[in-house]
Amino acid sequence: MSEADDFMKFVEKYLAEVPGGPAGDQEMRRRDPSPFVDTTAADIRPDKLTDEQIQSWFDYMSWNLWELIATRSTEGESGLIPRQEYETLSFVQQWSVNPDAMRLITDKVGVDGLVELGRVPRREIGTKVNHIRNYASALMAMLGRGVCVSLEQLDPTVRRDDIQDCIQFARRTWHGTWGDGPGLASGRGFQLPVLEDDVLQPLLAAAKPFEDDEERTFFRRFNGTTELFGFLMHYDTRLGMGDTGPYPLPGGGFALIRDHFLHETGFEWSHIGEGLPYAVTEVLCFKPDPIQLTINDIGTTFTKPQDYLKSLDRVAVFARDTIDTPMSGIRPVGHDEMKKIVTTCQAGVLSMYKILAKLSRDEKIRNGVRMYSHEFMRPLAYRAGAWDEILANGFDDLAPATQEAWPILTGGRAAEILAPVFLLGKGFPPLKSTAVV
Amino acid sequence: MSTETLIGTGINVFTSDVHAVGRIRFLDSPEEVLDFIDGPDVDQTVVISRGGTTTFMSPALMAGVAGLITLQGAPESHLGILSREFSIPCVMSTAFTDGIQTARGETIPADGSTVRLDITGDKGQVFLVSE
Repeated sequence: MSEADDFMKFVEKYLAEVPGGPAGDQEMRRRDPSPFVDTTAADIRPDKLTDEQIQSWFDYMSWNLWELIATRSTEGESGLIPRQEYETLSFVQQWSVNPDAMRLITDKVGVDGLVELGRVPRREIGTKVNHIRNYASALMAMLGRGVCVSLEQLDPTVRRDDIQDCIQFARRTWHGTWGDGPGLASGRGFQLPVLEDDVLQPLLAAAKPFEDDEERTFFRRFNGTTELFGFLMHYDTRLGMGDTGPYPLPGGGFALIRDHFLHETGFEWSHIGEGLPYAVTEVLCFKPDPIQLTINDIGTTFTKPQDYLKSLDRVAVFARDTIDTPMSGIRPVGHDEMKKIVTTCQAGVLSMYKILAKLSRDEKIRNGVRMYSHEFMRPLAYRAGAWDEILANGFDDLAPATQEAWPILTGGRAAEILAPVFLLGKGFPPLKSTAVV
Repeated sequence: MSTETLIGTGINVFTSDVHAVGRIRFLDSPEEVLDFIDGPDVDQTVVISRGGTTTFMSPALMAGVAGLITLQGAPESHLGILSREFSIPCVMSTAFTDGIQTARGETIPADGSTVRLDITGDKGQVFLVSE
């Protein structure tokens, strides 16, 4: 068997053993009936975790991450943004700075405050205090730990307190979103129906059918263009978007609620979003066609058949003008404004493309590290009133570990390091040394 | 009367009975992408890119090319997701049996040749159209 065949076995199944999807979740739960990614009101309160709890979290998250990444592992090269390089470095940076930031937030709002932050995605749209960030807040730092261990820059048995603080920080927000039970979409049949009914129903009531094919075609363009703009604004990542649902509709069919984040401030390139709302939210109501749908933990929808938008029946669009706009200030977006948004996004995509084409590889990696690190901490920290203090404490300063890893991870070894971390279960080295004494 | 020859097979991003027909343009650098979208017949062109990430091809996606072919990548990649959203036929990780060689030794159809993307099944097929 060739090396490529061996590799494909690990793409097709986690550790060449566990499948993806709900069947994989079932297998992981057969191996560990109470994975520590599930939460209870009682087990989110202690600050101290046992080694077994940490290992249980590691084991499930290792599969969950593989499930998320395996099918993307053959994405290939970018040609414009060295994303693997900056993501890998950002993991290392987040392992250095996130534990202190998480402790600062926890000190400020307490355990109950974290649970309340986890409730935000149930009550609001157009916010980055969402399942994606809550899902990834601890994961990013743990992957940085895994990368540092892979680079032989870290002993996996050290910094135990940082590990447990990160894990509990995330679990407390998960509990806020879901209550008792699985804290992840992967444990809930790959569905994310997080919005509470009194928030959801007015959104659904605003959805209107298309008047003609031209309007349908235009909406498709609006959806694609704002999504593409979100990718560019967020340096070629899915952090500019997020789906929740599916929400069953009376009489059949289902709805998705989709956020596209268009005007994030604080980046050197944020001006490309001038004139755009902070976020637009699409209410997508589908006919009762036979569509199989899954949403993963980063809020990306996959369907069979793939072209699910053909079954789109009714839509509505809302805007959240700034990050500080309250839910009561969310407003509907009409056809004329949608056209303006498309025009602005098209111009913004071209502006950003030209900016990127002129930057050096090193500049793009540095920008990417900062963007990626901000994105997984800033929304929660800002809502908790802790972001300015976290920044003042040096969140953006490249940590010694990041500086040490930089030449290795930007020198062509990013893919080599990432493949075992994502695909071969090396992202979560056990706390205890497995060496035989 | 035109004839068609199967020259490439890859992974289909979404199925449709609507076939994409256009002239091939291989885009290998950001500068080439920008030049291309400022040129004529964008909507009658099937572009080829190497990777499956979104950003590199974003101006071409936005400009409304007739079809997309990649040499790497999978439908779950960013580019796959966006081509689905824009409803632009897209065949990924395509292997060509006939064509010219890129600087890196990949086989692709020559710029200007006319192709048809058949995206009716799981496998995406690329046919060379000869007058």
